[in-house]
Amino acid sequence: MSTLSVEVSPEQQRQLERFYFHEARLLDNRQYLQWLTLLSEDVRYIIPSRVNVQVNNRARGQEDMISIEHELEGEDSMGCPHREEGYMLLMLRAERAYKINSWSENPPARTRRIVGNIELMAQGSDTLSVLSNFHLYYARPGSDNILYSGQRRDTLLSQTDGFCIVRREVVLDYAAIELPTLGLFF
Amino acid sequence: MGLTIRDLVNEDASLISRRCWSDKDVYALEKRGIFGKSWLFLGHESQIRAPGDFVQAFMCETPIILSRGQDGDIYANINSCSHRGLPVCRADHGNTKRFVCPYHNWSYSVEGNLMTIPQESEVVRKPDKTQLGLKRVPRVESWRGMIFGSFDEAIISLDDYLGDMRFYLDAFFDRFPAGIEFMGAPHRWVINANWKLPVENQLGDVNHGACLHSAIIPAEAQQLIEKLGHSVVTTPGHGATFRLMPENTPVDDVAWGMEAVGAIFGGDEVQNYLREIQAQARERVGDLRARMKGLTYGIYPNLSFLWSNTSFKVSHPRGPGKVEYWSWAVVPADAPDNIKKILRTNYSSFFGPAGILEQEDSEVWAQQFLGSNIDFADDRPYYYGLGLGEEKPHPDMPGLVSVTANEFYARHFFTRWKNDLQAVEGSL
Ligand code: FES
Ligand SMILES: [Fe+2]
Repeated sequence: MSTLSVEVSPEQQRQLERFYFHEARLLDNRQYLQWLTLLSEDVRYIIPSRVNVQVNNRARGQEDMISIEHELEGEDSMGCPHREEGYMLLMLRAERAYKINSWSENPPARTRRIVGNIELMAQGSDTLSVLSNFHLYYARPGSDNILYSGQRRDTLLSQTDGFCIVRREVVLDYAAIELPTLGLFF
Repeated sequence: MGLTIRDLVNEDASLISRRCWSDKDVYALEKRGIFGKSWLFLGHESQIRAPGDFVQAFMCETPIILSRGQDGDIYANINSCSHRGLPVCRADHGNTKRFVCPYHNWSYSVEGNLMTIPQESEVVRKPDKTQLGLKRVPRVESWRGMIFGSFDEAIISLDDYLGDMRFYLDAFFDRFPAGIEFMGAPHRWVINANWKLPVENQLGDVNHGACLHSAIIPAEAQQLIEKLGHSVVTTPGHGATFRLMPENTPVDDVAWGMEAVGAIFGGDEVQNYLREIQAQARERVGDLRARMKGLTYGIYPNLSFLWSNTSFKVSHPRGPGKVEYWSWAVVPADAPDNIKKILRTNYSSFFGPAGILEQEDSEVWAQQFLGSNIDFADDRPYYYGLGLGEEKPHPDMPGLVSVTANEFYARHFFTRWKNDLQAVEGSL
């Protein structure tokens, strides 16, 4: 199986970028309610936990031996992912940001994210599988300044006016979780 | 050191010094007086079912390998090579016959015995391998599948150590015909806080919910918690908080897990499963405990348990101002896999590193360390006097019992803490 992304026209790539850059700007501008409108109502938002696994001896010499998939305890595993959320929980998180008694966001974090390496990996009749990477700088008074790094594995639905997110799996690059929260929108 | 422990906690433990939370000499005494002398939680038997299975654990800052030996027994060894000290196990969990040290490849059995020294054949006088195994944790015992270890060979039995806390723990464990199991590797979250604050929080601090978590917990739910809430201390340092539901409470209002997201989003299949458990509760744990709807529990020194957001947690110190906070999702062992996957979100949605509630707790825990680490305020110890002396024995439940606003759980914790530190003070 080819590891190459699907060949896309410059226009199609530009459409995807436009969508993701808009999304990034909404999140960094703390416009979470508008961000919610980019989600499908049956969205699944998953963050697998990441474990230090024992290497399988029989896989030695092969790329699969150190495949990152072995490190992920995701939705289908019998481990415990960090997040397995639908629209309701995402909405709860988004709305919480605008309550004056959300103490841990007071004052709110300053974030800036760069989204890149946007690759269309597969295309169905109206769905797209898209990979993207992000670096997210996070600064909050009283907390250390933090860099989050990760990959997003999205399923997008194409609509007449753009895309909506049907599924997002976020693979975070941490060893120990020396991060103030995994409760952000990545 | 300039401080004496007597000056840090007053007679009735209603005044607690900032230095308890921030001083590195105090921390050194905690290691010896508490972590060297107590039963410390290592893991659950469901994590190491088969011979050769292992998981990592910690006893304070000391790394431990917890394993199931080829003989079926449970072993706990310090994860440090007898040659130059490297950890010999790097995976969070797995199954193996040997742990091989990276540096010079000495190899150890899963029970911790030294099996081979590759360089041995080249020297004349052979080392005595029987003396060079991994250092074994001298005492390992389990209760209801919960495995604990102690560095103190002379410590009382785990059963006696848990004492009457077992009455409250069994209100949970005994509800499930096949017991419980832990799902996957623990979430290991590093927080810039002192290890005791997560512990104190789960030991009995129910009333912060209405304040810190008011953006998430509805006021009515919190009022009900305070109205029906009981706080219990069985032995200083061990405590439980729970709601005692009135007799004839409808099953949906008392059943374990029914108020958490798994049941709310999981639909009929999950809800019927939870009702089924509750239907047997009276027979399994008796009338009183069938009406218990737990909140949080604590086992001295650093194990915590959440009832509805079902999780066990350990607060591993990493110095006075840092903690590696481990938490596991816990589910009934005989639940079908699809239900287990739904029930684990009871924990992960609200607690753990992504938890919508615990992101608020972790933030205040870190802020508390900042406040405890300041200068020019040592004449202003923290006030721990709420409800002083108002706790009383109860006719039907072991321990001292009071309302949740009474901070006696924390005063008892610090009384035990003070005794433990005074016992080793002066022997640095
Ligand atoms: S340090 Fe382990 S073999 Fe040398
Ligand atoms: Fe809390």
